[in-house]
Amino acid sequence: MSASDQIDLPKGMAGGASTRRILFNHLAILVCWVGLWEIGSRAGVIDPLFFPRPSDILVGFWRLYITQGNIWFHLGLTMAEVVAGFVAGSALGIGLAFVVGLSDTVRRFLKPYVVVIEATPRIAIGPIVIAAFGFGWTSKIVIVMLVCFFAPFVNTLNGIINVDRDQLDMFRSMRATRVQTFRKLILPEATPEIMAGLRLAMASALGGALVAEFIASNNGVGKLISTYTGNLNMASAFVCVLTLSAVGFFILRGMEWIDRWLVFWTDRERTEAVGRKRAQRWQKGGKL
Amino acid sequence: MATDGFAVPQEKHMPPKTAQISATDSPAVIAARRVRKTFGDGRVLALEDASFDIRPGEFITMVGPSGCGKSTLLRIVAGLIDHSGGDMTVHGSAVTGPRNDVAMMFQKPTLLAWRTAVENVLLPTELAGAVTKADREKALSLLELVGLKDFAFSFPSQLSGGMQQRVALARLLQTGADILLLDEPFGALDEFTREHLNVELMRIVAEVNATAMFVTHNIGEAIFLADRVFVMTPRPGRLARIIDVPFARPRKPELQLTPEFNALVAEARAVLGGLE
Repeated sequence: MSASDQIDLPKGMAGGASTRRILFNHLAILVCWVGLWEIGSRAGVIDPLFFPRPSDILVGFWRLYITQGNIWFHLGLTMAEVVAGFVAGSALGIGLAFVVGLSDTVRRFLKPYVVVIEATPRIAIGPIVIAAFGFGWTSKIVIVMLVCFFAPFVNTLNGIINVDRDQLDMFRSMRATRVQTFRKLILPEATPEIMAGLRLAMASALGGALVAEFIASNNGVGKLISTYTGNLNMASAFVCVLTLSAVGFFILRGMEWIDRWLVFWTDRERTEAVGRKRAQRWQKGGKL
Repeated sequence: MATDGFAVPQEKHMPPKTAQISATDSPAVIAARRVRKTFGDGRVLALEDASFDIRPGEFITMVGPSGCGKSTLLRIVAGLIDHSGGDMTVHGSAVTGPRNDVAMMFQKPTLLAWRTAVENVLLPTELAGAVTKADREKALSLLELVGLKDFAFSFPSQLSGGMQQRVALARLLQTGADILLLDEPFGALDEFTREHLNVELMRIVAEVNATAMFVTHNIGEAIFLADRVFVMTPRPGRLARIIDVPFARPRKPELQLTPEFNALVAEARAVLGGLE
């Protein structure tokens, strides 16, 4: 199954006859595409040195995942870097944004630094970080952290600052405490923006880890790709890249799913479903 | 205590009626003495000395063009902004900040998008403490009062602009405050919806025995709703005239076609005359 036919499908059509036909069309096109590639390669039109044959890539999958099984270790390591760096970086970004966003003084003081950091390509700091933290996975986590810090920081800050003035007045007129205003108004109001920031961060986290591994590393999928490419073992390099495509796809879909679940009120269908659920809970006298 | 579940003027935070009268020797629920407001270190006068008394259950409207200080005055009564001079008292005690016996409604519905209508109505109760079963029933009955019985579990995004303001009105009443401040509450709605909601509002405010201050820039609306109209003029913001509106309640929209009504409109217009 390819990625696009999942994304383009209108909701509520899943499982219908037309869905199956679209799926079939996509599969058919894919098969033709791969077949042409294979034939082109065997006929000498495509250079198999740089663009390995689909059949070779399939064999590569078998080798890397089953007979050698070496990709598991490297994939696990890269994913650990991504997850650790993402969690640490975005937590830091969101946390700092709350500190900055809730205090005008801190915000004015920090603004010039934010502007400078925003203009600096984060990956440029990569070699410096590696010099400081070594070739191991600590430096990779730090680089992913740097890559993941900024989008959640900026978005969270925006979300907090853009809370409607009348709504703040409304809370004030009801004598809400600062904690109540934060928990019941500012935090939920900022959640869609925060989630958008997290999605951006997640999208760049994998890339950040790979670049870090390209720069200097002994392990990880990035290292695997550069090694295979150096040895002109293109089929294996392609296996790594396709693996990363799949991983990236599931990560992004996962983030989308969390977003839709958390920020239900921006989605019509989800809003209706949550409304029904809340009505049931109310009837049972449950907590709101 | 009120018996019908939502008319709750005598709550714990309010002094008993008798004590209030003896303390201030005036039956006014809202009393202003030379209340003024300046901005920018006193350079800009937003509201010139305003003095008035508002009696319990009165419906006051404030009308005037932008910059006449009507919203400023309302926010001073709400305790959302400080006044720069004079005395502002509510129920005999000086206004020093937001208080339990005063509640405010804004031009925007200011509903929380992630809460159903009834959860929005319950917000003030939640902010004040634990939500009881009685609070929940009160919230539902208030939604019924504003005509949204079947929409208790709809989210704001599923409601029209007029319905959203009805939810905001129910939330306003859920506070239990007996002084309701309304800052152009239906100003963003279309003419028909607005007129309909105005009639509803009059009915509801009378039903819960509340005192209301209602800001508008529409002269006809101001007179139609009010027991007394505060006509305000800008630069500097000034309470220029208080017009008594003698028409009996309940009022019907046709009232606006009578010569008596139009005489009052003309009177207000004369005060505001020559203004852009």
